[in-house]
Amino acid sequence: MNYQSKRSGVRSNLTRIMTFGLVVGLGACDTDVVNPGPIAADFLDDPAAQAAIANGAGRAAADALNWIAYTTAAVAREVHPSGSTGSFGITPKQQEGLLEFDEIGTHWSNAHRARFLAADGIERIMALDPGDQDQENLAQLYLWAGYNSRLMGETFCNAVIDGGAAQDSDVHLQEALTYFGQAEALGSGDVVTASIAAQASIHAFLGDWTEAVSLAGMIPADFSYAMPYYDLGDDTQANRIYVAGKALPYKAHSQIFTWIEQYNPETGGVADNDPRVSWLVSGENGDAASSCCGVIEWNPQTKYEDDNAPIELSSYEEMQLILAENEIVNNGDYDAGMAIVNSLRTAAGVAAETSAANGDATGFTADEALGYFLREHAIEQWLEGRRLPALRRWNDAGVDLESLLQPLEQVGDGDTSTGSHLSTRDFCIPISEAEVDTNPNIGG
Amino acid sequence: MNSFATALGRVAAVVAVSLALVAAPVSAQNGTVTGSVTDATSNAGLQSVQVYLVGTGLGTLTNASGRFLILNVPAGSYTIRAERLGYGTQEMQIEVAAGGTVQQNFSLDSEALGLDEIVVTGTAGAARRREIGNTIGQVDVANVVEPPQSVDDLLQGRVSGMTVTPTSGNAGGGAKIRLRGNVSVAQSNQPIIYVDGVRIRSDAFHKNVPPTGYPGRSGNDVASPLNNINPADIERIEVIKGAAATTLYGTEAAAGVIQIFTKRGHRGAAQWTASVEQGFQNMRPFGVDPALRPSFEDAESSAGGTADYMFINPWLKNAWQQRYSLSVGGGGEDLQYFVSGSWEDDEGVLPNDLQKTATIRGNFTFSPAENLQIQWNTSFTNDEFFNTAAGNNAHGLTLNVYRREANYFGNEDKENLDLLLNQEIVTQIDHLITGGTATYTPFSNFTNRLSVGYDLANQENRNLRPFGFVRAPDGILADGRSEFETVTVDYVGTYSFGLTDNINSSLSFGGQSVTSEILQTVAYGEDFPGPGAPTVTTAGTTLGFETRERVVNAGFFVQDVFDISDKYFLTAGFRIDGNSAFGQDFGLQFYPKLSASWVVSDEDFWSGASQLKLRAAWGQSGRAPGAFDAVQTYDGVGWGGAPAFYPRVLGNALLGPERTAEWEFGFDGSFLADRLSLEATYYNQKTTDALFNVRQTPSSGFIDINGGNSQLENVGEIKNSGIEFTVNAAVLQGDDWAWDLGASVSTNSSEVGLPAEVPEFSVGGNGWIIDGESVPVIRGEKVMNPDAIADPIIEDDQIYGPNLPTRIVGLFTTVSLPKGLRLSARGEYQGGHYVTAAVANSAVSRSVIWAGCYEAYAIAGAAPITPAAPNYNQLTALQRARCDSGETDSNFWAEKADFFKIRQLALQAPIPESWIPGATGASVTVSGSNIFRWTNDEWTHFDPEMGTNSDNNPISRDGVSTGDFLVTSISEHIPAPATWTLAFRVVF
Repeated sequence: MNYQSKRSGVRSNLTRIMTFGLVVGLGACDTDVVNPGPIAADFLDDPAAQAAIANGAGRAAADALNWIAYTTAAVAREVHPSGSTGSFGITPKQQEGLLEFDEIGTHWSNAHRARFLAADGIERIMALDPGDQDQENLAQLYLWAGYNSRLMGETFCNAVIDGGAAQDSDVHLQEALTYFGQAEALGSGDVVTASIAAQASIHAFLGDWTEAVSLAGMIPADFSYAMPYYDLGDDTQANRIYVAGKALPYKAHSQIFTWIEQYNPETGGVADNDPRVSWLVSGENGDAASSCCGVIEWNPQTKYEDDNAPIELSSYEEMQLILAENEIVNNGDYDAGMAIVNSLRTAAGVAAETSAANGDATGFTADEALGYFLREHAIEQWLEGRRLPALRRWNDAGVDLESLLQPLEQVGDGDTSTGSHLSTRDFCIPISEAEVDTNPNIGG
Repeated sequence: MNSFATALGRVAAVVAVSLALVAAPVSAQNGTVTGSVTDATSNAGLQSVQVYLVGTGLGTLTNASGRFLILNVPAGSYTIRAERLGYGTQEMQIEVAAGGTVQQNFSLDSEALGLDEIVVTGTAGAARRREIGNTIGQVDVANVVEPPQSVDDLLQGRVSGMTVTPTSGNAGGGAKIRLRGNVSVAQSNQPIIYVDGVRIRSDAFHKNVPPTGYPGRSGNDVASPLNNINPADIERIEVIKGAAATTLYGTEAAAGVIQIFTKRGHRGAAQWTASVEQGFQNMRPFGVDPALRPSFEDAESSAGGTADYMFINPWLKNAWQQRYSLSVGGGGEDLQYFVSGSWEDDEGVLPNDLQKTATIRGNFTFSPAENLQIQWNTSFTNDEFFNTAAGNNAHGLTLNVYRREANYFGNEDKENLDLLLNQEIVTQIDHLITGGTATYTPFSNFTNRLSVGYDLANQENRNLRPFGFVRAPDGILADGRSEFETVTVDYVGTYSFGLTDNINSSLSFGGQSVTSEILQTVAYGEDFPGPGAPTVTTAGTTLGFETRERVVNAGFFVQDVFDISDKYFLTAGFRIDGNSAFGQDFGLQFYPKLSASWVVSDEDFWSGASQLKLRAAWGQSGRAPGAFDAVQTYDGVGWGGAPAFYPRVLGNALLGPERTAEWEFGFDGSFLADRLSLEATYYNQKTTDALFNVRQTPSSGFIDINGGNSQLENVGEIKNSGIEFTVNAAVLQGDDWAWDLGASVSTNSSEVGLPAEVPEFSVGGNGWIIDGESVPVIRGEKVMNPDAIADPIIEDDQIYGPNLPTRIVGLFTTVSLPKGLRLSARGEYQGGHYVTAAVANSAVSRSVIWAGCYEAYAIAGAAPITPAAPNYNQLTALQRARCDSGETDSNFWAEKADFFKIRQLALQAPIPESWIPGATGASVTVSGSNIFRWTNDEWTHFDPEMGTNSDNNPISRDGVSTGDFLVTSISEHIPAPATWTLAFRVVF
């Protein structure tokens, strides 16, 4: 075979081989795969997705409240840790009353997820044909959006929206007022009443007392609107304060060293003289030692008695407190304020408070009335995520908390001899470390 | 027990079939060929040498003494050949007379370089070692003295540049394997694994943990598919370490490739090998020297535990280990077979720990035509293991023991903590690996190889806290079934032709498709009506979970090897890949490669028997993103039984694979008549478009159900560089004794490249991904005045150092003694890295009286320590930071982790065949592994190789992890125990 024919043979073989290889290669490259499970984002634009959108926003708001109510309860001394720290518990810093920016990432993220899901959901539903819009879902969505924004405005030190610059936390409260206004306009029944009550609470927080009093007066007795939690064999939907305090798995929180223990002392193993702040004397110790105090008694709260215990968001009682505060703080009518406070106490089955001067429900001094009011506020809204914001508001307003608060509300470990920690305590949740790291408008 | 009986039955059936297959009539007219094969240098007998009569199908393998016996050889003239990996082949001519016996001995020269050995991994089909431009690690099992307990065990400390890290001492746990460091921070760094050409799952199996609630109610370790291979079935393992060598594997091979070759039948009569191993595991001290105990602390816990075992010794047992295996190999010219079965029953050192494994294997080679060979290999493994709840787990034994009286019981009484042992954690894995390769050579210069492989593993995870369980009185049961399936189709064609008289070209081309599918369903129930053996159905609350994931990777390649005078080799090629996980805007990927080798010692100017090959290689490979990473998706999460959406993945339509380019160069040399061999390699790899979990701004709100809000983006760079140097020396040689000594040194220096707009991010365990730092680096709060008698000065964001070892030194030696005795030892040093003992921080922050703080307690005069302690002001700043419950932080427990371990020590002795009727060889081996550990002075307690709940698995229970798998940090585990084994091996 000469060189030419040999070369031709090689070329011919190569051509065949390469053709074959190309066919094999192209055949091998079919990589089109559809995996089930995750839901494509486009799916949410389908009108049938509206209920799940509203529920997602609601669950997200519940998650946010769950974590924030839990951690701020410890910082505000509504509960005391009796064990777990870190990922499931109150960190040593939080036990000292400090809300460090590297320890509140979950709280920050949860609330922002709820804000995003609500805003995104509203946008998606509003983009539907009007005939396809489910007004009931939309109103509910606005309500969840409002409550979440109220939570952020009350507990976050700053508002940061979509990676923007840090703003005053009141931005969230204004946002909440808008959402509640929409819920009130579109909704019906309890959604409307809750929207009005929530707006009253925000106006009170912002110091718009005329609006606050006007709206609070519209709320009927016995009204209550609460965030639901669920016992589904899945702790993530359960009431976190209940889970953290219950016998299993953790026994992580106790009423020992809290002023609740003093105010509502044990009688026959159960402290329920005031049923609003009941707790249990277990006779057992906490699940693990806490950093401040070693192994301590486990005396859990019993306000929430199950995984699915709801957390109240708005209520007639809260509205009455707004009216009472207005009388005491703004109008200087201490007896009128105390009359409202005592009406709440009587309704709860506990004795009315009396003035030192007269021994009855008249003649209260300013400090007496304010002191009783602050305590009553703590009792009525115990473990609802509202105590720390209230302390924040009063602290900002210059209320002398060290004189008026119960001593055990001011310290971390039950040792009142060390003096009040209020001067070093954090009253709001800072911008999270992750936000600082990633947001170029903050510091990232 | 039933599964064991079933497995044993399977083994028996296979053995019976094999017996029937191999039975052959004996003829008195035939002769016998016998003899021995020895190492030409040491005169030591060589085992596992294939000795056969060419063209007859008659042959055998040598026994542990190097002796062989071929029976029933018809009278005539023959060429007899002796072959073994690492030795030059030798042929002799013999004449066999009817009824006669021919004595033929061989003395084989070792070939340190094995330049003409065929290697497969990383090549297009196969290639001679001389042609290859990259380094290839190889473990030749015939040279392993001790009986390996697992493939992890077989690999550990034997390949330079490879770390094999056992993350706990739990039964069934698999090791984390890294080659040349981490090439990815978002995807698995576990090398991909092939067994006889069949791709198998390389990432760990699913952790046995309930699908909801805290994700650590478990033994908190994961099993490795690699350990479903019976080490006794393995002939050799090839390891290629980086992209310079793995280009032809495409978009999944950047972390390296491990290929296992199992034994094949030899030509000749059946040879049976039986082995029995008996041994035990026991825990060596890993805690704190009890002598450091302050006088006011009791020496023992109420359960009898002591500080050197962190008080867990009352629960540790000397765990009996037993293994039995039987194999037969043989065959004729056209059909060879290797059939094996094994059963093992290994207790673990923790109370509930037990592993039972049965394996069977059948490897067959057919040659139906002269130009066609078909190999079909199948193995089946039934692996069942029981675990004790451990790790960072409030329901676990280890955590509650370590935390002493500040545990979840409030006491450390044994009878109370024993109640935790009522949790049943049972994992069962059935693993089938089957596949075949047909090699068709229609012309002498055109070879076609088609491989198909099927890897199927079915896993059942059963996790029961029964009714009345101390930490969950109403009971919780999770039963999960996972199916892992990998289908491989691989074609390679090679056409060789001469370009000129001195230049030959081998053009290879082919296509490969790997389809991986994972199906998982988990049933979960809690609140049982009463005691008894429950099912999920009997629970008061039940939940169901399902995930399905399919990934297809397919591509084709072309490669040409230019061979110039059989001395110079230039290889150029490329692979084009598609992957189902690429974003919709992403097309096919192109990975080129180029390598060269020069056999210098074949040059005319080279004289003497020494050999030298210079080599260099450059290539690219990749790592694909996860199946769901490219598309924006939401999760259906439910809310109180109603449907609800939550964000899942932000999505990135431009998502593609990360691309690792690597170049390496080095040499392989043997000198002094093969008494000294050297291998040196410098590598430098750079991963571009590295997939980083880029943290999104939380206030944007797209945050998944686990709180994650990062999105994979191809934005980063990862650099790894280092050297690998191996030396083997025949230090001393006598007539019947020899001393071989070897060492390997490898280094790894890694560096992250992070664009300015991408924020640094945590990967768990105090590990961070930070521009300019190693992958990952330990960073956090640091005490700046550690030795000062003062309050700690603490600064944030301080760099401690790399988390992966930056230098590894392996030492190995074998002493061959008279009468066939062999003593071998292997040790390994790893250093230059930092590991955090998170376990210490978790305890101290809860006011646990912690043995790691004994010295501080003794000084302070109190335990636990608060500023009120009598001599608090005499403590150093570091002691205050670590041991004051109000100050401690896991960062302060980041410690320099340099260590040295004796991985293995073994003595093997032959047993006279006359002692065992019918035997052609027998040996006994005594071995110990993991029997000594040295740690540096800074190291306080535990073992630097221990891990956390999520080590070794890039996929968390809930989906893609943000990278916890990347970091080694220590949680409430026990370290790997020492293992002592006595093994008898008999060849018939």
